[in-house]
Amino acid sequence: MSPKLVPYALLIPGLIVIAALLLYPLFQMVVMSFQKVGLKQIRPKNPVPAEWNDFENYTTVLQSDLFWTSLRNTVVFAVVTGALTLVVGTLVGLLLNRLGRAMSTVVVVGIMAAWAVPPTSQAIIWKWLFDADSGIINWALNLLPDWLSSLVFGRSDWSGQPWLNEPLTIYLVLVMAVLWASFPFVAVSVLAGLKSIPSELYEAARVDGSTGIGTFRKITFPLLKPVFSVLIVLQIIWDFKVFTQLFLIAGGTNMPREAFNLSLWSYIEAFSPPPDMGLGSAIAVVLTVVLLLITFVYVRQIVKAEDVR
Amino acid sequence: MRISKITVATATSAVLALSVAACGGGSSGGTEAEKPSESASSSASGPQYAGKTLKVWRLGAPNEVFEKYMNDLNGKFEQQTGAKVELTWVPWPDSQKKWTAALASGEGPDVTEFGNDQVSAWVAQEALADITEVAKGTPDFQQIPQNLWGYETIDGKIYAVPWGGGTRAVLYRKDWFSELKIEEPKTWEDLIAAAKKIQKEKGSDVDGLAFNGGSDANMSLSPFVWSAGGDFAAFEGGKWVGKLTEPAFKEGFQFYTDLVAKEGVSGKSRLNLNSIEIAQRFAAGKVGMFVTGGWDIASIEEQSKGKIKADQMAFFSIPNKEGTGPAPAFQGGNDIAVWKDTENPELAAEYVKLAAGQEFGGRYAKENGLLPLYPDALAEYANDPAQKAFAETFKVAKGFPADPQWAEANDTKAVLQNAARAVIKGEKDVDAALAAANKELEEILNQQ
Repeated sequence: MSPKLVPYALLIPGLIVIAALLLYPLFQMVVMSFQKVGLKQIRPKNPVPAEWNDFENYTTVLQSDLFWTSLRNTVVFAVVTGALTLVVGTLVGLLLNRLGRAMSTVVVVGIMAAWAVPPTSQAIIWKWLFDADSGIINWALNLLPDWLSSLVFGRSDWSGQPWLNEPLTIYLVLVMAVLWASFPFVAVSVLAGLKSIPSELYEAARVDGSTGIGTFRKITFPLLKPVFSVLIVLQIIWDFKVFTQLFLIAGGTNMPREAFNLSLWSYIEAFSPPPDMGLGSAIAVVLTVVLLLITFVYVRQIVKAEDVR
Repeated sequence: MRISKITVATATSAVLALSVAACGGGSSGGTEAEKPSESASSSASGPQYAGKTLKVWRLGAPNEVFEKYMNDLNGKFEQQTGAKVELTWVPWPDSQKKWTAALASGEGPDVTEFGNDQVSAWVAQEALADITEVAKGTPDFQQIPQNLWGYETIDGKIYAVPWGGGTRAVLYRKDWFSELKIEEPKTWEDLIAAAKKIQKEKGSDVDGLAFNGGSDANMSLSPFVWSAGGDFAAFEGGKWVGKLTEPAFKEGFQFYTDLVAKEGVSGKSRLNLNSIEIAQRFAAGKVGMFVTGGWDIASIEEQSKGKIKADQMAFFSIPNKEGTGPAPAFQGGNDIAVWKDTENPELAAEYVKLAAGQEFGGRYAKENGLLPLYPDALAEYANDPAQKAFAETFKVAKGFPADPQWAEANDTKAVLQNAARAVIKGEKDVDAALAAANKELEEILNQQ
């Protein structure tokens, strides 16, 4: 074999795995999104052939009221949670860099424990914290002095306050749950980046009389930009497709429809009886396209700015 | 490269989930096919179906009474046919999901229990076998009155056998009623008054009369609507016409949403619980009354781990508005059906014949807290004080729109549950919410 071909030959096993596990299902999803596919079509015994249905799934998606609320929920959630995660994560990363060895270990272990909690448990923990009757949040709010509570929230009695009825408060709880579990990853990544910045730069800055914020803006941030670029893309992707936490916090398939995001809506259409996998696939394709567009625009900007080598 | 790979991975994770369902079933064909030859050799010595196994799905949560019944039934079946039974209990709220998975994977039951109002939806998915011949050819089944085969007969073919009749009544804490000197409510006003009294004495986190907003919410809503003279939809001029905006429906719906919104006899934070979840709260002493079926006494007693005994609970018929008698409640019932994908249709039919026959069919209804379908047993029932609430309601019971799409409106799209939540949360007034729900209901019922 010519030496030129060796790298390609070595790539083949990996490509086969990706093709079988990722590309084929992706292809299948796109095909299904153009067909009428339900239980009758996918059953292994006596299936009915799937029929092409002239973009009907897509027109249904785009004409549905649920599309716009789901899209809004998806995008707003991703922007808010992504931004908060990066800000909190960066601050904690900076803190970790300043702490001594022992203290830093304690904090890292603590936040990594939160990161390691499985999404199902995260959701249930936060759901219980916000329980209307026996949740600690309502209990704590009731402990506030009445005048303070009335001043800030316009009310003093929080007993039985339902948090998981309205989309807005559902998403408030969801943002906290997801933020709680995802900032540690950002913090540790930022810490790793900080360790690689030569300390001479900071010494020079100090000699020139730079303050904390100035140093961050002029030295830390520019040098960490490649780290942030990757983190932002990852956060966008992760927060766009949040499913488990929303599903559990909002109460499963019988959650208020105004609180759907695109992945949950796709799931409900595809799997709730009577299942309409064609429609579910069409929603998933729309979600994928939106995500690809955002990522594409963002990555292009990074490449243009030559941050990624 | 890295970035694009991540993106592809993300996009595909959704697809993976979709395709997993499709690939489960393929391999089983081989092993199933070998079984008949095995049994053929043994049939010379033992009963006809020795060595075979029949998969049976029962719906609901098992408790001692049901387990004993199933043991007796399956023991008798094994004795008669030589085949073993593999029993699985499926909780009611999960049943639709389980059937979906069963069809998608090909790994379904051979015989399954069914809610009679769901039969047509699943016949439309080609899930159930045509058992017209079994139904017509079994002498026992001929004793089941003809008017009780309505849900099971579609285009002249029979797809399920009625097993027990069910309707809904109010399950209440008998001990609380006597402690607080509450009389059995005879009007809607009485209901509210009783619920308020319970809440006042037992704590604000107790639901006096629990609001059901879950998958089976319409079982609780419908008595109030029907009692006011309303209905969900009517088949007129070849299509379904929604009736949700009519004043009578509105009156019942208003009363139902007011349980939470105006009267506050059920907690505002619990707008999407189904009857199973309410029963769990009942078992924890957090509910005074709720609408459910007779089977709940046994399961609540077990769930409460002895805290709430059977004699602390009882049923009364949901009263009509004026107090002249019981309100019409959902005329439901459980069926037993043969799964279309079964490898052993004859054996499955044998099981249906035995289970729904006079002996085990009668016991099934009695021990499940359901109404028996055999005339003799039913006559016996009317004299039993514990069953009076159901027997009386059954006389005036009604059904939901008989359409395969009803299940979608009732459960998946949760049309009325969403409307009720919008009203309770103050997002819409009753008229606007019902107008929107009516439009959606018509769309769902009339789609092809």
